[in-house]
Amino acid sequence: MPEIFINGQSVQAEDDETVLQAALRTGHYIPYFCWHKSLSIAGNCRLCVVQPEGKNWVEIACNMPVSEGMRVLTDSDIVKKNRKATLQFITLNHPVDCGICDKAGECTLQDYHFEYNGERSISDVPKVKSTKYVELSERIVLDNERCILCSRCVRFTREISKSNALGIKQRGDESLLRAVEDGALDRDAYSDNVVDICPVGALLSKPFLHKARVWYLKPTRSVCPSCSRGCAIDIWHRKPEWKLRNLDPKENTAIARVTPHDNPEVNGPWICNKGRDLAQIFERARADGAMLKGKPVELSAAIEMARRLIDGARQRVAIVSSWGSNEELAAAKEALAGRFATFFKADRVAEEGEPLQDDLLLRADKNPNTTAARTTFGDASAAAPTFPADTDLVLVWGEGFDFARLPAKARIIFLGSYLAPENGHADVFIPISIQTERAGHYTNFAGVVSGFEPCFAKAPSVAHAEAVFASLAGGPRS
Amino acid sequence: MPGRQLIMNFPVTATSHTLADYVARGGYQALAKALAMTPQDITREVVASGLLGHGGAAFPVGRKWGVVKLDDGQPHFLCTNADEGEPGTFKDRWILEHAPHLLLESMLIAARALQVRNCFVYMRGEFDLPYRRLAAAIEEAYAGGYFGEKVCGSDFACDIVIIRGAGSYVCGEASGLLSSVEGKRGYPRNRPPRLTVKGLFQRPTVVNNVETLSNVAGIIRDGAEAFKQLGKPKCPGTQLVSISGHIEKPGVYEVEYGYPLQKFLFDDCGGITGGKKLKCIIPGGISTKVLTAAECEPLTYDKESLEKAGSSLGSGGMIVIAEDTCMVRLLQVMLRFYHHESCGQCTPCREGMGWMHKIIDRIVAGDGRREDIDRLYAISALNDGTTICGMGDAAGYATVGILNKYRDEFEYFIEHKRSKLGGNLEAVHA
Repeated sequence: MPEIFINGQSVQAEDDETVLQAALRTGHYIPYFCWHKSLSIAGNCRLCVVQPEGKNWVEIACNMPVSEGMRVLTDSDIVKKNRKATLQFITLNHPVDCGICDKAGECTLQDYHFEYNGERSISDVPKVKSTKYVELSERIVLDNERCILCSRCVRFTREISKSNALGIKQRGDESLLRAVEDGALDRDAYSDNVVDICPVGALLSKPFLHKARVWYLKPTRSVCPSCSRGCAIDIWHRKPEWKLRNLDPKENTAIARVTPHDNPEVNGPWICNKGRDLAQIFERARADGAMLKGKPVELSAAIEMARRLIDGARQRVAIVSSWGSNEELAAAKEALAGRFATFFKADRVAEEGEPLQDDLLLRADKNPNTTAARTTFGDASAAAPTFPADTDLVLVWGEGFDFARLPAKARIIFLGSYLAPENGHADVFIPISIQTERAGHYTNFAGVVSGFEPCFAKAPSVAHAEAVFASLAGGPRS
Repeated sequence: MPGRQLIMNFPVTATSHTLADYVARGGYQALAKALAMTPQDITREVVASGLLGHGGAAFPVGRKWGVVKLDDGQPHFLCTNADEGEPGTFKDRWILEHAPHLLLESMLIAARALQVRNCFVYMRGEFDLPYRRLAAAIEEAYAGGYFGEKVCGSDFACDIVIIRGAGSYVCGEASGLLSSVEGKRGYPRNRPPRLTVKGLFQRPTVVNNVETLSNVAGIIRDGAEAFKQLGKPKCPGTQLVSISGHIEKPGVYEVEYGYPLQKFLFDDCGGITGGKKLKCIIPGGISTKVLTAAECEPLTYDKESLEKAGSSLGSGGMIVIAEDTCMVRLLQVMLRFYHHESCGQCTPCREGMGWMHKIIDRIVAGDGRREDIDRLYAISALNDGTTICGMGDAAGYATVGILNKYRDEFEYFIEHKRSKLGGNLEAVHA
């Protein structure tokens, strides 16, 4: 554990750290563009300069291994001058079109410019013109004029996603980021991470392009339900104070985008492209009214009917959801224990062409909470359910179960969230909330429990599954 | 010839580059001697010789070699830098064309000293005859038993491969060269780690210039003491100088260090074209600082003398500039080169080279502004020591060197929108 001195303050560094890592870890901020904690050191942006004490030059902190007694200054005049110069160099050919750039508001270059430069460009030579709106893939567009050539994205595709999809061609100030061949980035299941790690607005997400200014949005901690990895994510949606009446109501409750939330235990700073498309899962047409055999009723009436059916049945079966949170599964267990034979089911299976499993994040099980469903209800899977012969009531919770496989004479209680033909076939249909409307926890395949928070309020006509199970529990009624 | 010779010490004939001729004039004797020596003894001899690198930085060769740990249990590599790209420099080309076996023998000795199994020659892609000559020499050397599993029947094994560049100046920088050999973009690498610790394929690698290595055979054959008899104590040996520009007899000359510069220019090279006066010289490739005629007068050609005058030996590519040459246009040519050759990896050089080029273009077009000279100074200063490789610094030195000494020409050009000297780069005949 070498002791180093940053601006005269003693800092205990790790043996294999660089000065930049030690400084960031101990709260001595050093600005940087190209360095990324999960990628190799490129040392090309030249912004993270520090001055070795007593010397009249600067060195880059990201490639400076710590050694005992090392003394550096992060805020000396020469450091400030060099930083300023680097920012001037970078904005020399950068279009500074923040007004129409999606990155504005969360752009490192913008932030650093105000923090460390604060001056207009001193250049009066014409900027280098380059290509704009280059479609690197179906999901990502590139603006080469904004690109500062930090090579983070190139390193990401080489070191993390291993698709080797990106490279730099040409040289000097005409260097161009490009896909190595057409469609190379389309084959990368993690390609959208390059948008997050791009320090400027060069790489942009096509689905999010010009959809919202980021300062109108707020992130809510959540867990990606797309597979059993359970990656920590932030779901971005409009800030409550920016929910405007004259906007389409759907705009106010829409998922604007999904970004990874760095959790070293689960996903690190990455998520897969599927996890970015949660809107495709959560923004399907919702079932927002309770029904008895397809006839709309009040929620309370449906729950009352469900209770009655349960009380009257002799052989009850429950098919539980692997999309239920730990809390909901516990409530279901409490309500169903002893009275129901239970099976857990996979609510979602991989679509055709969807990547199944790899060494980075993706898991073949496309449900977030199979682990907890299994530990709560045992190993009986609904993939091959063996219904007791005289089954006369089945409670189905969540999607993904074909009603044709149910015993013909059994009554059906169905807890679902989306519009589906099954809703009308069920004897009792109770609409339940989805993940973005409630808080809870998932247990991932490795047993790590992660929590999610609600992004939006549920409709009054929709129930939380936890509450439904609480009121279906046996014992005397209140 | 200016002083004594170590490399150009034989008459060039139609066959002088062949193995037979090389052996006939005593070639491969040093290898036989080296095979009988321990690797440590070879390195010790090279250290004792005080041989300096001839590629531009004049780094002591022995010190570079000494970093490689012989018993670290990993493969080492030796890479000859034949990517001779510094404008004004064409001396390695002479060795590759006329004495390829001298290089090969020296590489074998170096490989023996550094325990290298695989050697590389990274050669400039534009070299045609040098490539054919070296490739033929390698074939001869393999056939003669000098390369392969048993070098000269000993237990020392060594192989060699030529890798050809694709026309990038930056690939002549040692780490950029290694990136290129690895098949990557020729981007220079950050130090640390040093290349002698983690170089080619992350293994200890020694990269030496063609001429540097070519001195090794002689040092081993005749001993370090004999080598130190030539040149100056702190700068022993000779330098192949490729002299070009406004000089009567341009070409490659082997100059013994310590040789008077005036004598070299006016006696050996025949003086300035058309009997003109000397304006200045760029002593070692355009990345070294320019020396005015007055500054040149007392100098001898060696490291100490040139550094005292504020320049350096560089790569030995001497460019002679006669009176009446427009330094503004000269700088324009130089900056166009640096702009074109910046690899674009790190910010100050990528952006700065283009910026400087645009400014000088503007001045030459007659649109110069009063603050442009200061801006060129500022950009040069901001490239000094802030880039990954030395290219940013080099461009800065070159620019500052010219601006310091010929500022009046720039001011005149900006003020009058035309060159003080008619804008000539060619020597004007009266």
